[in-house]
Formats: sequence, C-alpha cells, structure tokens
Amino acid sequence: MNTDTLLKAIALNKYFGQGDALVRAVENVSLEIRRGEMVLIMGPSGSGKTTLLSMLGALLSPTSGQIAIAGTDISSMKAAALAALRAQKIGFVFQAFNLLEALSVEENILFPAQLSAEGVQGARERLDELLERLGLTTRRKALPNTLSGGEKQRVAIARALINKPPIILADEPTGNLDSHKGQEVMMILHDIARDEGCAVLMVTHDPRVEEIADRVLWLEDGALRDRKSEQHSWVTDPVCGMRVDEWTASVTTEYNDKKFVFCSARCLSRFNAQPERYLNETKHRVQD
Amino acid sequence: MLYWSLKTLFSEPMRLIISALAVAVSFILVIFFSAVFEGESEQMVVYLEEMEADVWVMQKGVSNMHMASSMVWDWKADKIAQMPEVKEVAAILYFNGGVKIGGKDWFSYVIGISPEYRRTGPWAMAQGNAMPGPGEAVIPEVISQLTGVQIGDEITMIDRPLRIVGLSKETFSMSSSIVFVSRGELGDLLEGRDQFSYIMVYAEPGVNAKALAELIKQEIDKVNALTSEAFIASDRQLAVQMGAEIVRMMTMIGTLLATLIVAFTAYSLIARKKQELAIAKALGFGNGQIYLAALSQSVVVTVLGLLFAVLISFTLLEWLPAVVPQINLSIRLHQFTAIAMVTLPVAILASLVAARTVAKLDPMTVFHQ
Repeated sequence: MNTDTLLKAIALNKYFGQGDALVRAVENVSLEIRRGEMVLIMGPSGSGKTTLLSMLGALLSPTSGQIAIAGTDISSMKAAALAALRAQKIGFVFQAFNLLEALSVEENILFPAQLSAEGVQGARERLDELLERLGLTTRRKALPNTLSGGEKQRVAIARALINKPPIILADEPTGNLDSHKGQEVMMILHDIARDEGCAVLMVTHDPRVEEIADRVLWLEDGALRDRKSEQHSWVTDPVCGMRVDEWTASVTTEYNDKKFVFCSARCLSRFNAQPERYLNETKHRVQD
Repeated sequence: MLYWSLKTLFSEPMRLIISALAVAVSFILVIFFSAVFEGESEQMVVYLEEMEADVWVMQKGVSNMHMASSMVWDWKADKIAQMPEVKEVAAILYFNGGVKIGGKDWFSYVIGISPEYRRTGPWAMAQGNAMPGPGEAVIPEVISQLTGVQIGDEITMIDRPLRIVGLSKETFSMSSSIVFVSRGELGDLLEGRDQFSYIMVYAEPGVNAKALAELIKQEIDKVNALTSEAFIASDRQLAVQMGAEIVRMMTMIGTLLATLIVAFTAYSLIARKKQELAIAKALGFGNGQIYLAALSQSVVVTVLGLLFAVLISFTLLEWLPAVVPQINLSIRLHQFTAIAMVTLPVAILASLVAARTVAKLDPMTVFHQ
C-alpha cells in the first residue's frame, strides 16, 4: 500500500437480514483515501452512506471485504483492539454534534485525550492550539447548552483532532447548521486536511461542499457509481436562497402540494415556522 | 471517563440528593431495627450491669437470668460472705412473668429486695420510695407515663395486689421491664421465704473474679458461679439468639431495598446518558471503562446514601426516645461498620444492571439524530 494511503477498503459488503428480507446495504465497495485528501461520499437517502462510514470507522464489521486504517488491516481485530484503534487513528464529527452535556468546551475536547499515550496533561498544548484555531478561546469554560450550533460543531471538530488522528470521518457535519455556519465548518475541515495531512472522509447531502472537496464518491443502492459533476438538479432553498441539489437533498417538505428543498434542518424549521413569509421572499427574489 | 461520570452525576444535584435519600431510607431501616434490637438487648442486662458485682452465684445448671429460674438456700449467701476473698454479698429473689399494670400485662423481671442488702434496688429514681415494703412495688417511670398509673395506684402480681410506692428510671424495656417488690412479698408468692435466686458477690481488692467464681463452685455445694462479665455475656447471647433472626431478616430486606434503589438509580442514569456513552464507545472507550464509570456513580450514590442515613439516624436516635419513651435505642460502632461493609457489594450489585446496558450499547447510535 502506498504510504500516503490512510484509508483503504477492498470489496466491502454489508448485508442485513436473511433470505427474502436480505438488505444489501453496501455492495462491493472499494476505495482509497490519501493523506491531505478531502473526499465526499454523496448519494440519495438510504443508499448506505452511513453504513459505509461506520465500517470505515471501525464501528461496524463488514459482512465481507477488507479495511486497512493507516496501514493496519482491521478485518480480524477484536472489539477492544478496534476501540483502541478508533481512539488513536480516527476522529469523528457527527451531525448531532454529540457533545457531553456536563463537560465544558475544553473538557469535551480533552475527553478522547484520556485514551492517548500522552494523556490529558500532554494534550493541553494541543488544546490551546485548537481553541485558538477554531475561535473557541473565549468559550473554553462554557457548557454545550450555552453554545450556538456552529460553536458546538467546532468543539466537535476540535475533539476529533485532539489526538492528532490521521483520519477524520464526518457524518453530515453541516446538517444542523445554517448555510453560513455550514460553509465555515466545511472550510475548517478542508484546511485541516491540508494543514495536518489528514484524510477527511465526509458523508454529506450538501452540494456546496463539492466545490472544496478533492473527490466525490457517489453511492447508490449500496454501490459506488460514477457521477458526472454536471448531473445535478439545482433548486433554491426558500429560506437562505442557497442552491441545493434536489437529487441528493435529504431535507425536504411539502407545503400547499409543492415540494420544497432545503440546505439544512435549520432552514426547514425556519420555513415550518413561517412558510408564507419565505414564499413571499422567494417571489420577490425571482421578480428582482 | 471517571471524571465524566462524576461530573455528570453532580451536574444534577437535586436528582443525586433524591437518589441518595432513597438509598438512605433503606439504610435507616436497617440502622433503626438494629438500634432497637441493640437497645433492647442492652436493657435486658441493664440490672446485671448496674449491680457491678464481681461474681454472680445461682442454682447449679443455671447460667442466665433472662427466661430462667434459680433457687439457692439463703444460708449459702452467709457462707459465701464468710469467705476471706469476699468483701460483701447481696442477694435477690427473682422471677420473670406478667405483671398487670394499668389494665395491661407487662412482661417483667420481678426482683425481690430487702433492706439488709444495699445495691439490689433501683439505681435511679424518678419519684417516690426506692425500697418497697410488704404489699408495695416500684415500677418503671415509662410504664407510668404510658398507662397513666401513679404512686398510690394498684398493680397485680400473680393475683396479689401491690401499691405503687416509687417510679424508677432506666428500668423499662418492651420485652422485660424491672419491677421491684419486697423479698418477703415475693418469697411468700414463690413459697421460698428462706431462699434467694441470685447472690451477688463483691470481691476483696486484688482478688481475681474468675478464680473467686471457681473457688465458690468448689466450696459451696450445688451452685453455679459466673464472673459478672460471663453472666452478662450469657444473657446478652440469649437475647441475640432470640432476636438475631429477625434483625438478620430486616437487614437483608433493607439491603435488598438499598440494592434495588441504587440499581434503579444507576440504570436510569445510564439509560438517560445512553447517547453520551455511545459517543464514548465510538471515540474508543471500552466496555470496562464505561462500566467503571457506571460503578463509580453507584458507589457515590450508595456512599452518599449511607452518609445521609448516618446523619439522619443520629438525629432520630437523639430525638426519638423523648417522643417515644418505650423504645430503647442504641447505636454502636459495629452496627455502622456492618452497614458500611455491605455498601460496596450493594453498589457493585446494583451497577451490574447498568453493566448489561453498557455491554449492549451500540456505538452506531451516534449517527442517529
């Protein structure tokens, strides 16, 4: 394996159920992600993106196939060894932020450092560096319930980076953020891949991210397929006015028998609160 | 992980206090039953302790006062008194049975005393005369408070009416109160005018009580002689045998209750923090580390419950006897040690419920919104 290859999957399959109820969640997926690369996994809802991400994150065993993380084949590893590998080699960023409510910003960030060789004390310098880089220095003592969505996601990113893992796996990291905050988070992840030499693998529905990603993998019915970049069906988010790909969008609603597509859950909830206001604004935008 | 578990626990102080108080209630039950039992057991031997004799002499084959009967000829008391190792003797006639006071039967130690022997009567008086004459009795003050009988009222002992002439302190027990009558009165009733039940022997300074007891057994025919220490221990042992099963059962019930409460607390805490534990699992923490976090929470709740229980018990034990005089309560260090020793197994046992949840926890839930 190329020394720059941090994540490699060969002929991955994941099946759930048996017989007639058999579901092929992931089928014959092979991929390779190199140091400093930011790769997106996109695809329609239910296409197996999260299942694939879970297998690549050593959280779920594949039915068959091989996964190598930073040069280590994890196929035959026991649960305890996989847990140790996750602690050292993988940083996770989730859509729901998943911060620990009782812990402050810095305690949340330092939480995985307990599992690193240098321990919590050894990670303090890195903590200061991350707080500075992610603009959280003044919020270090704050509890998660006092943070904005964007701040929460930045804390989650700092937590993912504290042990300097070579691989960052992000599951819809912009899903709960408005377009501005989402863009900010994407840029942070992009810079991290570049500056820290990490491999960032991200599952997303957000087509705006495509512009800053190095590669886009299209997953459909559990298998990777080619998709040309021009194959989009662009519509406008009625709340923030952003361009959204209707084919891949997961945040949608129906109002007055018409389908509306949003860039994030936050835009959807704003729309649900005052639909007429946003429909009027859309109308004016079109007239202008 | 341990830090997370404690911080999570203390981030909801009201929930923690309520859980600890619930655990405390079950421990208080155990402490209370144990204190009642200990108090009653002590009260059963209070007369023996207050007499401060070195050696007790009784009928051969008898080694108790509680639930026992003993008859010794009175000349044997004189013979013992003449031994050079003996400084002084005192003797009582005794039986245990029901005494009707205020229309209710009270199981009592009835002690027949005579003026010739000092020390045999009540050691603390609330009111009246401490030395009953023929047709008279001294009853516990608590029975007077409970029944309303006063000095001058009548009580009945084996169909014989006696007039109350004194109210004594520290002589009440739920199972065996002490009623003092004149030796002549009791001798009449028991047809033992020239007999005693127990002879208390006070040794000359420097004489070993155990050796004196052995000497008395050799010198005096058909008697048993026990050091005061052995005699009290024998009666206390009897009390323990009678109540131990009940106390053991109550302790088990209390402990089981505490275990269930701690288990419920630990489980509910784990159940509410499932998502956070799943995050910990996803980030690389093992089942063992997560289980230790759950265990530490159980231990904190249990230990806090124990502390609350001790504090509340001490307050209650100070206050209860004034409100409920018929209850004799006593707390000794060994009772707390016993409860403290069950605390850790309770916490471990309780956290096993949480352990099962931890083991089944799917880190994949971190991907759910």
